[in-house]
Amino acid sequence: METGIVEYMTAPPALVAALPSQPPPLSAAEVKDHLSLIAEMMLVFSASNSFDAVAKSALERIAKYVGAEASSLFMLDDQGQAMVCTACFGPVDITGLRLAATSGIVGRAVQRQEAQIVRDVRNDADFGAVVDAKTGFTTKSILVAPLSVGRERLGAIEVINKIAGDGLFSADDLSLLHTLSRAAALAIRNLRLTEKLVEQERERHELELAAEIQRDLLPQPSAKEFPIHGINVPARAVSGDFYDIMPMPDGRIWFNIADVSGKGMNAALLMAKTSSLFRCLAKSAEHPGQLLNAINNELCETNSHGMFVTMVGGIFDPSTGIARLTNAGHEPPLLFNLTRESFLEIPADAPPLGIAAGIAGPEGFPVVDLDLKGGTLYVFTDGLTEATTFGGGMLGIDGVRALIRDHSEETLDLRIKNIAGAVKLPGKPLRDDLTLIIVEDNGVRTTETKPPAVVDLSVAAGVVLRLRVPARADRLKMVRQATEQASAYCGCGPEWTLDLVMAVDEACQNIIRHAYGGRDDAGDIVVDFVKEGDSLSVLLMDFAEPVDPSPIRSRDLNDVRPGGLGVHLIKSVTDDARFLPPPPGVGNLFKLTKRLAPKVN
Amino acid sequence: MTFEVRDVNGTAVVALTGDVDLQSSPTVRQRLLECLDKNKRLVVDLGAVSYIDSSGVASLVEAFQVSRKRSSYFALASVSPAAMRVLSLARLDKVFTIHADVTAATAAQG
Repeated sequence: METGIVEYMTAPPALVAALPSQPPPLSAAEVKDHLSLIAEMMLVFSASNSFDAVAKSALERIAKYVGAEASSLFMLDDQGQAMVCTACFGPVDITGLRLAATSGIVGRAVQRQEAQIVRDVRNDADFGAVVDAKTGFTTKSILVAPLSVGRERLGAIEVINKIAGDGLFSADDLSLLHTLSRAAALAIRNLRLTEKLVEQERERHELELAAEIQRDLLPQPSAKEFPIHGINVPARAVSGDFYDIMPMPDGRIWFNIADVSGKGMNAALLMAKTSSLFRCLAKSAEHPGQLLNAINNELCETNSHGMFVTMVGGIFDPSTGIARLTNAGHEPPLLFNLTRESFLEIPADAPPLGIAAGIAGPEGFPVVDLDLKGGTLYVFTDGLTEATTFGGGMLGIDGVRALIRDHSEETLDLRIKNIAGAVKLPGKPLRDDLTLIIVEDNGVRTTETKPPAVVDLSVAAGVVLRLRVPARADRLKMVRQATEQASAYCGCGPEWTLDLVMAVDEACQNIIRHAYGGRDDAGDIVVDFVKEGDSLSVLLMDFAEPVDPSPIRSRDLNDVRPGGLGVHLIKSVTDDARFLPPPPGVGNLFKLTKRLAPKVN
Repeated sequence: MTFEVRDVNGTAVVALTGDVDLQSSPTVRQRLLECLDKNKRLVVDLGAVSYIDSSGVASLVEAFQVSRKRSSYFALASVSPAAMRVLSLARLDKVFTIHADVTAATAAQG
């Protein structure tokens, strides 16, 4: 850079050749003037924080010093395709004028990185008369010096129409302009670097704020004994992963883990939206299939620019050890049984969220009921499976299983930190955001299932009415009429009766459609109406195959659970509705209880 | 259960009577969809419905969704108390267009 200045200061050969004769040597006063202007301008350029503000006055000083009519500063745009006049001095204001980077004599100076001296533009083929035509100004002679630092081209300074003296630009004028342009170029470059630094600092600060807000969206660390713990380690400042753990008033706990496709700020914003939707919609959802379906439909309503979200959502009941899960395109969670050292994978049976709306039926996405039976459920993002190991390879699902086995004896709070810590190599950034939640069943059952009121098919005390009908749609009207009679017998009014009729009818429908698979004459339904204290209980028994007791029970086999409209109706109009262990010879036993509300006369 | 269709000033009016339950709802569903194939405006009169279950409600929901997709007009009219109880429990009373009587339902633009 320094050598560059020296070279040009000693008059470049091209320049010398362009001049008709050597100019007369400068007088001592002229040299002093020259130097003081250069010194002054350099000071102005280097001290200024806003180049535009001083550029105009600097151009004026230069023009007047050289004895020229006008001067202007052209800057190359970021692509280097065009030059824009950012400041000028003279009779016409051409600030904002845009020229191709190769256009005219200025373009030549920029492209060749050589100062140009043109004493009569009419003799120069490169002279573009377009600007003159537009402005009405007449250009006669031009002096141009390129603005550059090292190899970085910034633009050029142009001085037009020498009016002083003999009206001809001299080599001294050119070398003066060249010196000034070097100083100006340095000042401009420094200013740009400063601006860039300020902008980077601002962006970094904004990213920090975003990361802070994002951390606040994650739940507080769980208490040591709490059955669900989670951890999120972002690969960058902001993360596209998230998890949530949300205890409900009834003791059950909603949880989820999700991974937004893509990384960076846009993924983080979609993450914020999805996590808010989860929090908001979980409060009214009956099961994760319904919840994830609702989130999917909401996400699809607004364009997410091709991004989507994979999610495992679930609700865990510590009193029963049952976790109900929906896996929407996410990495399969692992259920680990410590005593048997066995793993069970729960694959995705729903698509990722945010791709297509309205793809699930009224029940929502498929739900898996997982009986943890004292085991532990590990749900994680691909940041764990795809983490780099010490050997440089990928951890993979086998690596994850080994990690789980290795840490299985540790307490939950320690275990989650150690597993996440094991894949975070010191001093190396993660390849992807890493998120993990662990759901642990302590195996303690706090609610014992009550023995059924009627354990065999003999008619027990308190039975108001017993009914045995073939499980067929055309018998439902009779069941409804019998229910009305039983309700009337207990002295209840029409509204109470309608609600009970509805509950019994829907329960019978579920037996016909699901237990017996909708086949006619597949078996009978026995309905007992039993008066128990101030309640009327209805026991519905079928002789179909009992519910599969294996850990994974597909939703279709026991549809009479929270979810469908029928089940919603049953739950809405009764005080209790649940499956009970069936007595011998009975397939399934479902019990409804409704507090009596005798008609007031 | 009976299913009767009549035309009121260019609107097909389906009058359902009796119990719309698991036995009758497949018929109701099919005939409602047929009506939507032939008509741009459909009103379902639930005034004489003594009972409707979740499968009956599902048939109405399906007809409603089809009408929306085709930008057809679909409304319920003079919903009986028994039917209204189910619709409100299912929170569908806010989803369906419900008119007090058939006259209002057929006169309404939509």
